[in-house]
Amino acid sequence: MNPMNPSFFDVPIENYIALSAVIFFLGAVGVIVRRNPLIMLMSIELMFNAANLALITFAKAWVNAAGHIFAFLVITVAAAEAAIGLAIVVIVFRRSANVDVDEIATLHG
Amino acid sequence: MMPHTVLGVDGTYPVLFLVWLLPLVGAIVLWAFGPQLRSLGGPIGAALVGTAFIAALFSWNDAAQIKGSVSGAHVSMFTWLPGFAFGLLFDRLALIWTLIITGVGFLIHVYSIGYMAGDRAFARFFAYMNFFVFAMLTLVLSDNFVGLLVGWGLVGLASYFLIGFWFERPTAVAAARKAFVINVVGDVGILFAILVIVSKIGSIGYGDTFAGVGHAFTSQELFIVCIALFIGCAAKSAQVPLHTWLPDAMEGPTPVSALIHAATMVTAGVYLIARCAPLWTASAEARELVGVIGALTAIGGAGLGIAQWDIKRILAYSTMSQIGYMIMAVGVGAFSAGVLHFLTHAFFKAELFLGAGIIIHNLANEQDVRRMGGLRKQMPFAFAAIGVGVLAICGIPGFSGYFSKDAVLYQTLQQGHPWLYAIGVLTAGITAYYMFRLLFVTFFGPYRGNVDPSDLGIRHPELAGTPGQAPKLEHEADEHEHHGSEHAAHAPAWIMSAPVAILIPFSIGVGWLAYGGETSPWQTFFAPLFPAAAPAASGAPIGELGSGLIVLLVVAVGIALAYLRYGTQAALKGSVERLRTETVRMPPVLANAYYFDAAIDALIVKPAAAAGRFFGQFLDPVVIDGGVREVVFSANWFGHLFRSFQTGLVRAYALYIVLGVACFVVYYAAIGTGK
Repeated sequence: MNPMNPSFFDVPIENYIALSAVIFFLGAVGVIVRRNPLIMLMSIELMFNAANLALITFAKAWVNAAGHIFAFLVITVAAAEAAIGLAIVVIVFRRSANVDVDEIATLHG
Repeated sequence: MMPHTVLGVDGTYPVLFLVWLLPLVGAIVLWAFGPQLRSLGGPIGAALVGTAFIAALFSWNDAAQIKGSVSGAHVSMFTWLPGFAFGLLFDRLALIWTLIITGVGFLIHVYSIGYMAGDRAFARFFAYMNFFVFAMLTLVLSDNFVGLLVGWGLVGLASYFLIGFWFERPTAVAAARKAFVINVVGDVGILFAILVIVSKIGSIGYGDTFAGVGHAFTSQELFIVCIALFIGCAAKSAQVPLHTWLPDAMEGPTPVSALIHAATMVTAGVYLIARCAPLWTASAEARELVGVIGALTAIGGAGLGIAQWDIKRILAYSTMSQIGYMIMAVGVGAFSAGVLHFLTHAFFKAELFLGAGIIIHNLANEQDVRRMGGLRKQMPFAFAAIGVGVLAICGIPGFSGYFSKDAVLYQTLQQGHPWLYAIGVLTAGITAYYMFRLLFVTFFGPYRGNVDPSDLGIRHPELAGTPGQAPKLEHEADEHEHHGSEHAAHAPAWIMSAPVAILIPFSIGVGWLAYGGETSPWQTFFAPLFPAAAPAASGAPIGELGSGLIVLLVVAVGIALAYLRYGTQAALKGSVERLRTETVRMPPVLANAYYFDAAIDALIVKPAAAAGRFFGQFLDPVVIDGGVREVVFSANWFGHLFRSFQTGLVRAYALYIVLGVACFVVYYAAIGTGK
């Protein structure tokens, strides 16, 4: 089975990687420019999934199961991260009745 | 480890520890309970020193014993490190010193009970005196150089305490500091000698060192050791050029001057050289140098004795001069003569000082001989004491100084030093002159205490001779006089005169020990310690009798000159006039003590002070502190810089992470993965 067989895998690998990079970039920009913590968490999810896409693409390309395994690991971590992140958002919201992350800047030097 | 050689017969000598430690007990007790003991402090201190003296007498046989080639008693105490064994050595040399320290020390303690009566720190004075006796015994009884150095330093400390005893007087404090600093110079010299000895011998004991003289040292190393030791001797024994502290040390109470700065401590240098006789015997260069320094000190001190008006300073310079004799004698190898002169000098100089103390005490602390005069009738006892002392120091036949000075001079000649002999003889003449000057000016003629000081040429009467009148601290203003003459009533008069009376027969008699030349009791006594040094090949050009006659002649000339100048009827009648002209016309070189103080000031003190200012005002605050401050500033600056990154904004941190990752990406994109 030739992984590079166009009949089997006719979208070139560069496209997958480019899509992954674009999604990752969108996620990173979202984290940096948005001030709503929920949006930021969603942007982080975007970055996770961009990474997953890259992992699976490479796993498919090299015929190596490690990429699939890592993708599942990332999904698990993302779930945990979402749980903790939402918990933090709820606590912060309770304390300051505010959902602007720039207002929560008391830990500055 | 090499075999350990000790001088002396090993054993346990419990009485020796009694001699050594009783004064320490006294010092501790008087220090701790002085305020409670009050006037009991003096008798306690004196009694302990007296007991130590009796114990030393009972140990006479231990010290004098001879077993084979060793003599004296030795006690091992403990070994600190291999080669560093500490113990006590009580041989004939140490015996002589111990007896003088405790015996004369006891008499001076008794005298002090009267002299210091009414002083508000009466017990503290005796604590210091007992401490001094203990320190001096440590110095003398030690069987190794380190123990000696410990004692050496402690006597310096005791001397510092006692010179500065009246610490309200700025001059006394300055004198104490000066004495201490100069003595530390000497301590460093001895420490250096110890380092050389330990590196060469591997031991600090006298026995090991002397056993190694022949093979362990080259002659150069031996010379260095001798010189380093002699620097210590010069500082402690007031030898040129380290003598300048001794005249100033007269700021202390007179008994202190008698005990420490005449009889015992200042002769420690003589002791050290006599103790290290094997080193000096083996080094001709060291003998030459030390002999010359001793002779220079002898004549230099005598020359300054002429120019002094303060009775204690006259005696101080004469002490310096007489120690010059001793150092010259032990320096050239005439050890037993030098030690004999120490013995006789201890008696007659203590007597002179105590006699002067009686005068000072009775004249309300007047020390200027120009304001005395005619005291022969008022104080016949002081006159007798000082008269005998003067005759003894001048070397009048029959008095002790005659024997010891003749022995010193004749043996110097015998060792082949005619020039040193000539200087010594000249010094004897000058000594006779200034001592008789002291006698005539103080005891003959009219009393001048009521003459206006300016008529006597005294320019600053408030500075010239009125010590002991320091401003009193307010809270004790009328409780205790500082130190006043009317307080003689506190103690019976005999308590001051009895010790002096005991010293008189000794200062006449001890010289007779040396009567009989080579077979005299003195020579026989020291024969085991100092094997008669072979006279120089040239030998003495004149016999002992001839030498004695020359000395006598020169002394007679000195006395005659003093008589013509101060003693004739005409001179006594016009004494006010003649003392004034003498004061005004005093040659500045003598009045300024040969400018030694000025020279030391210009050569050492001023450059040191300038260096201190350089280090204190520039190097330390600007360079070193400045450097440290720069480091602190830059750390602070970086701190501020990095602090500004810690915004507390989550998004900013996210940006940093992204930028960091971007850096990695750019880096790998630029150089590839290395494959």
